[in-house]
Amino acid sequence: MTDRPRILRPSRRLLLGAALAAPALRAFPARAAGEVIVRTPGGTYDDVMRRHVYDPFTKETGIEVRPVAATSAKLLAMFRANNVELDLIDTGDGQLLTLERMGALAPIAYDKWRWSKPEDITAEVKNQYRVANFVYCTVLGYNKEHFAGGAPDSWADFWNAGKFPGPRMLSDMASGSANLEFALLADGVPKDKLYPLDVDRALKAMDRIRPQIRRFWDTGALSAQMLSDKEVVAGSIWNGRLQVLIDRKAPLAYTWNEHMIQVQALGIFKDAKNIAGAQLLADYMLQPEVQAKYSRDLIYGPTNTKAFPLLSEEERARAPGGERSRQTGFYQNVTWWEDNRDRVNRIWSRWLQR
Amino acid sequence: MPLTLRATLLLLLPALLLLSGLFLLPIGWFLTASIAELGTWPEILEEAEAVLLSGAVGRSLLTTGWIGLVVTLLTLLLGYPVSYALSRVRGAAFTAILLCIVLPYFTSTIVRTYAWMVLLGRNGLINQILLGLGLVAEPVNLLYNRTGVIIGMTYVLLPYMVLTLYAAMKAVDQRLLQAAEGMGASPGQIFLRVFMPLTLHGVVAGLLITFILAIGFFVTPALMGGPGDVMVAMLIEREVEITQNWPSAALMTIVLLAVTLSLYAVYSRFAEPGEAVR
Repeated sequence: MTDRPRILRPSRRLLLGAALAAPALRAFPARAAGEVIVRTPGGTYDDVMRRHVYDPFTKETGIEVRPVAATSAKLLAMFRANNVELDLIDTGDGQLLTLERMGALAPIAYDKWRWSKPEDITAEVKNQYRVANFVYCTVLGYNKEHFAGGAPDSWADFWNAGKFPGPRMLSDMASGSANLEFALLADGVPKDKLYPLDVDRALKAMDRIRPQIRRFWDTGALSAQMLSDKEVVAGSIWNGRLQVLIDRKAPLAYTWNEHMIQVQALGIFKDAKNIAGAQLLADYMLQPEVQAKYSRDLIYGPTNTKAFPLLSEEERARAPGGERSRQTGFYQNVTWWEDNRDRVNRIWSRWLQR
Repeated sequence: MPLTLRATLLLLLPALLLLSGLFLLPIGWFLTASIAELGTWPEILEEAEAVLLSGAVGRSLLTTGWIGLVVTLLTLLLGYPVSYALSRVRGAAFTAILLCIVLPYFTSTIVRTYAWMVLLGRNGLINQILLGLGLVAEPVNLLYNRTGVIIGMTYVLLPYMVLTLYAAMKAVDQRLLQAAEGMGASPGQIFLRVFMPLTLHGVVAGLLITFILAIGFFVTPALMGGPGDVMVAMLIEREVEITQNWPSAALMTIVLLAVTLSLYAVYSRFAEPGEAVR
């Protein structure tokens, strides 16, 4: 996919910059002194992070934190237009890898950390240009009432519509990636031999279950809605989304078996106006006590190994990551997806419309 | 008195500036900069061939065209009687019909689409009524398939059709209908041989504007469609957001833009009442 240069030459960057600046007729408010602007997924996420990270950080350092929403395309446009409006990026690891490969990111200053210890961060999610602030995962969720006589406990079960009948859902490429991993697991590929994904084999397996698929979901909200409205009785879904429904007494459950771990990470624009502040905020966010607090509320897994002991046993049972994930789950390989997303997207779009 | 060219240009200037600054310039730069990224002309053509002939875009264009066509015909079928009623009534009845058509039009498409999703779901209101009346034994699938997309889009696009038809119907000279009646034509004949031909340019204009809007639709099919209902706008969004392959998105955009502009050229010939039929 990266066989052609993605970075525009300076003259083009300038032209594109002018074009992007044209619609931005609103005046930008003057930046407060000592402010870090952070891209976040928005919504309740901001409330949790404000309570456990941003406000305590401001109290400790005097640096204000301002969360803003920005889509992947917007982040890319900012960099290409040479007009980076934010400092810290808190987003999916794949998206950060795209930016890293474009040369948009500054290295994480692990050697300057004062609150977190680099050696405490899980090795799989500690990279030169991006460091994970939590892990979430895609699990097999289902309706307890529908499967009262025995629930699907693996992706092979999910693919077995004879034994476990009912409408289902899986993710669409529009959510970031299609659930090709689960198709391969159902087809008998062991979870440590998934990558590089055999796309043709995965789609052949998808062909078998497709008549049962009511819809391929593109947003976390849609997947939660379809499962709680009984539009589907089983499907892949992010653990946090599902846990919220379960906590509201929805008759839903899930299995930890064969869950796919995905990574949310921090990166810093190399052209950011407040790189030092962004480095500080990343360092602050990843310390065990802080991670434990926001992980607990978000129902996602800490990436600092020292944060796990700070969670109660019950909280650990709900969180991905840690020892259980090592045994029953697997990490989604974002590098493979980053290398192949273009190709897979084309094949997927064609397959969808067959 | 017709305006002079200079006066016309002066009056249009603010709108032209706005349109070029906020639409033409950004989209022009997006398209040229993205495509220039591909390199030389032969390389651009090679990529265009790979993207546009990959199968996905072609099928999606067919899907888009088909959904657009069905939706457009449905809005005409539903809209023509409504517009006719609207053009014939006065006072409170006129206001009531107009409000019913225009008010939803002021609500965001996303909100209206979600409202339909609540109604059409497996356990939604419509299925509950059908099950309650014993008309069906199993919930009917009205959502996350082509049916859902067509219902949702028809609803969202209906006002455009109604208002376009209304304009044409209102312009019909009532004395012509009276003359036909005076000469002994039956109501059916008056409608078929006098009224309908006089409103035909409005029908064509309504069909074109609705179809143009339909083929660019994104929100409704993305939310209400099933696995195979991939419209071109959805493919473009994926290239922009998911794969971040902007050259690819630009190529697809050009195709959609070309189709839209050609239809618009046809539309502009029919949009002037009276011009095309004379």
